[in-house]
Amino acid sequence: MAKISRRYVIRTGLAAGAAIAVTRCASNTQQASAPSGTPNNPASGPEVNTNQVKDVTLRMIGTGVSQINEIRNKAQEDLGFKIDVRALSTEENNQIAITQPGQYDLFDGEYFSLPLVVPSGNLQAIDVSKIKEFDKIVPIFTQNKFDGMKVEQAQGTYPYKVMYLQDQDSKEFAAEPTNWATLIPFQYNADTLGYRPDLIGSTKIESWAQLFDSQFKGKTSILDIPSIGIMDAAMVVEAAGLMKFGDKGNMTKAEIDQITDILKQQKRDGQFRAFWKTFDESVNLMAAGEVVLQSMWSPAVTAVKSKGIQCVYAPLKEGYRAWGGGVGLSKNLSGVSLDAAYEYLNWMLDGWMGAFLGRQGYYSAIPENARKFMKPAEWDFWYEGKPAAEDMVDPFGKTLEKKGAVRDGGSFKERMGNVVVWNSTMDEQVHLVKKWNEFIAS
Amino acid sequence: MNSSVSASEAQPTATAKLQQELASQAVGVTLRAVTKKYGSFTAVENISLDIPAGSYTCLLGPSGCGKTTTLRMIAGHEDITSGELLIGDRRVNDLPPTQRNTAMMFQNYALFPHKTVWENVEFGLKMRNLPKAERIQRVDEILEIVGLTKFAQRKPAKLSGGQQQRAALARALVTRPQVLLLDEPLSALDENLRVRTRSELRKLQKQFGMTFIQVTHGQDEAFALSDQIVVMDHGRIDQIGTPEQIFQMPASRFVARFVGDNNIFVGKISDVLQGNQYAILRLDVDGIGSFLCRGQAADLGMTAACCVRSDSMTMTPYPPTDPTLPNQLTARVVAIEFTGYVTRVSLMVEATGAELTYKVRSHDWIANPVQEGQLVTLSWTTENCVFLSH
Amino acid sequence: MYKTWKGVQPYLLATPQTLVFLLFLIFPILMIGLVSFWEFNGYTMVPGFTLSNYADVFTEVSLRTYLNTFKYVVLVWFFCLAIAFPVSYFLAFHIQNQKLQIILFLICTVPFWTSNIIRMISWIPVLGKEGLINSLLLNLNLVEQPVEWLLYSDFAVVLGMVHLYNFFMIAPIFNSMMRIDRNLITAAEDMGASGFQILKEVILPLTAPGIAIGSIFVVTLVMGEFITVRLMGGGQSASVGKLIQTQIGSLQYPLAAANAVVLLIVTLFLVAGILRVVDIRKEL
Repeated sequence: MAKISRRYVIRTGLAAGAAIAVTRCASNTQQASAPSGTPNNPASGPEVNTNQVKDVTLRMIGTGVSQINEIRNKAQEDLGFKIDVRALSTEENNQIAITQPGQYDLFDGEYFSLPLVVPSGNLQAIDVSKIKEFDKIVPIFTQNKFDGMKVEQAQGTYPYKVMYLQDQDSKEFAAEPTNWATLIPFQYNADTLGYRPDLIGSTKIESWAQLFDSQFKGKTSILDIPSIGIMDAAMVVEAAGLMKFGDKGNMTKAEIDQITDILKQQKRDGQFRAFWKTFDESVNLMAAGEVVLQSMWSPAVTAVKSKGIQCVYAPLKEGYRAWGGGVGLSKNLSGVSLDAAYEYLNWMLDGWMGAFLGRQGYYSAIPENARKFMKPAEWDFWYEGKPAAEDMVDPFGKTLEKKGAVRDGGSFKERMGNVVVWNSTMDEQVHLVKKWNEFIAS
Repeated sequence: MNSSVSASEAQPTATAKLQQELASQAVGVTLRAVTKKYGSFTAVENISLDIPAGSYTCLLGPSGCGKTTTLRMIAGHEDITSGELLIGDRRVNDLPPTQRNTAMMFQNYALFPHKTVWENVEFGLKMRNLPKAERIQRVDEILEIVGLTKFAQRKPAKLSGGQQQRAALARALVTRPQVLLLDEPLSALDENLRVRTRSELRKLQKQFGMTFIQVTHGQDEAFALSDQIVVMDHGRIDQIGTPEQIFQMPASRFVARFVGDNNIFVGKISDVLQGNQYAILRLDVDGIGSFLCRGQAADLGMTAACCVRSDSMTMTPYPPTDPTLPNQLTARVVAIEFTGYVTRVSLMVEATGAELTYKVRSHDWIANPVQEGQLVTLSWTTENCVFLSH
Repeated sequence: MYKTWKGVQPYLLATPQTLVFLLFLIFPILMIGLVSFWEFNGYTMVPGFTLSNYADVFTEVSLRTYLNTFKYVVLVWFFCLAIAFPVSYFLAFHIQNQKLQIILFLICTVPFWTSNIIRMISWIPVLGKEGLINSLLLNLNLVEQPVEWLLYSDFAVVLGMVHLYNFFMIAPIFNSMMRIDRNLITAAEDMGASGFQILKEVILPLTAPGIAIGSIFVVTLVMGEFITVRLMGGGQSASVGKLIQTQIGSLQYPLAAANAVVLLIVTLFLVAGILRVVDIRKEL
């Protein structure tokens, strides 16, 4: 605790220092008073503005794009300024976003974190008018619509709920679209259960309820991040008919107590083999055969498959749990840095990155832009749910699917159209974490 | 130490009883052609030795001479490679330490630091499974004798050096051993205490009539304590004798050098005469002179040595009154060292560079001093010049 | 003037150390103590004064977590001692060649050549359902189903921690044993002690300070454990350290601070208990 407070002060100080330094560099260049030939101030003249942007380094923390160096390299190449990334776990990401605002310029996080991060005041509102292709972003985010239809059945912290702020300086989310956005989305997906078809016998996995099937006793797993794990658990409990929720995405204290009691009972009965916290852990549990059925993330399933081990991402009759990731702007940004950050946001949407992430199974904020950078066979496989016309290769050169395979769950419309719940931060978040801890510790 | 004396006097019955018990069971120790090898290294080579019952014997020699190994073989802490070891008339080669009826007192005493004096002394009895009542009686008794009753509940670290030594002695004696083995028991004490303690040890040994075998590298200690001294070098026995014999008649150059301030001369035997008690040999030492020494008959022309103790010489001014006399030489004073009772003079024979030592009572020196750098004549009687066969 | 300087000198010399001590030990602990009384909402903490964080520590679940942590402490301590004592004894008393002794002692440090996490993860292919041991048991037809308690169980947690912390027990015990004057053992033999009696009467009491120091290491390390508990327990096992970690992860700093304060006090009590039993001053 002490550390954080102390660091807070120090980091804030550093950030202030950095800001001063940046401003000074900028003004120096404009006045052309600095010795020319220094890397910071190469020359004056008509190139002043681009040079300024070139001097910028944007520091990014996050759980999504921040994890992939190839994306950073491409962005640096295309945009001409530097981006420092720190790959973090969901928890660390939120912690830093909230408690150490001086450490980052760009926040790459999930929408469900926003009810925690936005009140801290560490993000600045994104001026939608500066996002060139904002209108082309899938309306799930911008209009709460999917395929032209209003999304009504989705529960939880669905992105639209936290997409807009009431005005530039507000910490309150807006119910209707405004000119001020919290995050610009770049990827999202529909999550479900993964399983090992070679290890579960003839059983068909078609319902979330099967996670509690005694047939899989000691062979299932659930993820140990409260905001996500609780949603999977809610899907399971509801599907199994063990309890009903008013709103799964915003449970009451009583509902939280009841669901954790059910989870504790399952744990006591030995239903779970393990709990996982990181992507790699989920892959290892599955690949090592420790677990045959568990909550999983889409690329984790492909990671298991790429080891030559059968793994299916089950389309379940109750529907999917979805999540969305986006990039937000730190309140530290201003002037040239802020301009650079907007350039980054626009670059993010232009399709290259969407295609890159698409080849791993994520959906892009503007699918038609991503399509421009994808081969038709890739588009057909990942978005259209058609059999692969050729081997599907991920951006790192690994073959994920053989020719003829079909994406689990089918097309974009089938999958995203069947989302019933989003990762959530609930009003009773404190109580949830407490009860979740009890479950893990029990 | 005084307290122990008065304590033992105050307890005549306990002491007397123990004295009787120990004296009656004292036995001798015999080594016959005993050898100890560690791989290819021979630590002790073919030594034979008789240690009479009730005697105080010191194994004397420099470190690495095999004296401690010999003691440890007697105690049973080292195996004997070959030869025989008898304690009394029992062959004990293969018996474990406890069955040899010996007890050992270690260098630095090896008192258990975590046990009180009382527990330390009790240890051997406890290991022998003696009944508690008897243990209490015997421990209390021996602590009374060595005068440590008041310190019984102290840990060794809270005792003075002398008290630790007595605690170690009590621990060794409490099991009523037939032979007590002492491994440099005085080396941890300061000079003053060492002298006092050593007479205490000697007194105790006499009082109890026990067989004591002690290892030491100090000739003073050996002289002061022993009935018999065994001088050892390189794993062999060089000489066995009473302190007087060792002092007066060293048998080898090693003993002569180790035992005291002997001046050793190496030369060729040029004549052998028969004296009253000894043979008288003439030894010609190149560049120094011709000396007569007493010893056993030896072959003419053989290279041999003789020694003269540095305090048995007479110093007179140069030149000598009669240069033709034997047993004299000319040397230059190099250094003078005043050490209290004795003054030590270092000299050099100019012709050969040989170094000599001359010791004289300071009282006499002050009455008749010589300056550094002066030439002097040193002379001695044939009686004081000892032939060394090897 | 000179006199004052002489008087001030020792204090000046002690100042840097004291400052470091205050800045990096005392101050953070005081801050933790302070924050443990603060209030918090979902995303941030609010200065204030509340005892509710401590009230949460004394709930049934927390207490059970503490009990579970004690269980690990006791088991890990016991097995570390059971392994470290004979190993040190063998090294100190049965290896006469000093070079070999040093080499073997260094071999005991081999597990430290790689990171904790890698050491933990490397157990998984050994203990897992499809791991080495289970494959062997299945192939020998000793079991029909893979043995599950080998991994993601209390057994695995204890195994992992014994693996991690054993050396912290070996080093001080070995050190204590090496300091024992060999003459004491010869003396005990001379007085008729058997091998077992020497162990009980001489070596064990003289090794006690080393055992105490090793115990302090192991106990304090295990009390704060969370990585091993998570990795080897498959996230299913509970310990106070893990509880604190989860609370920090969920931004519940004041709650984590309250737990940390209680953990610190409990650990200090354990250490004080060990120090009461054994006087370790002669080792220091």
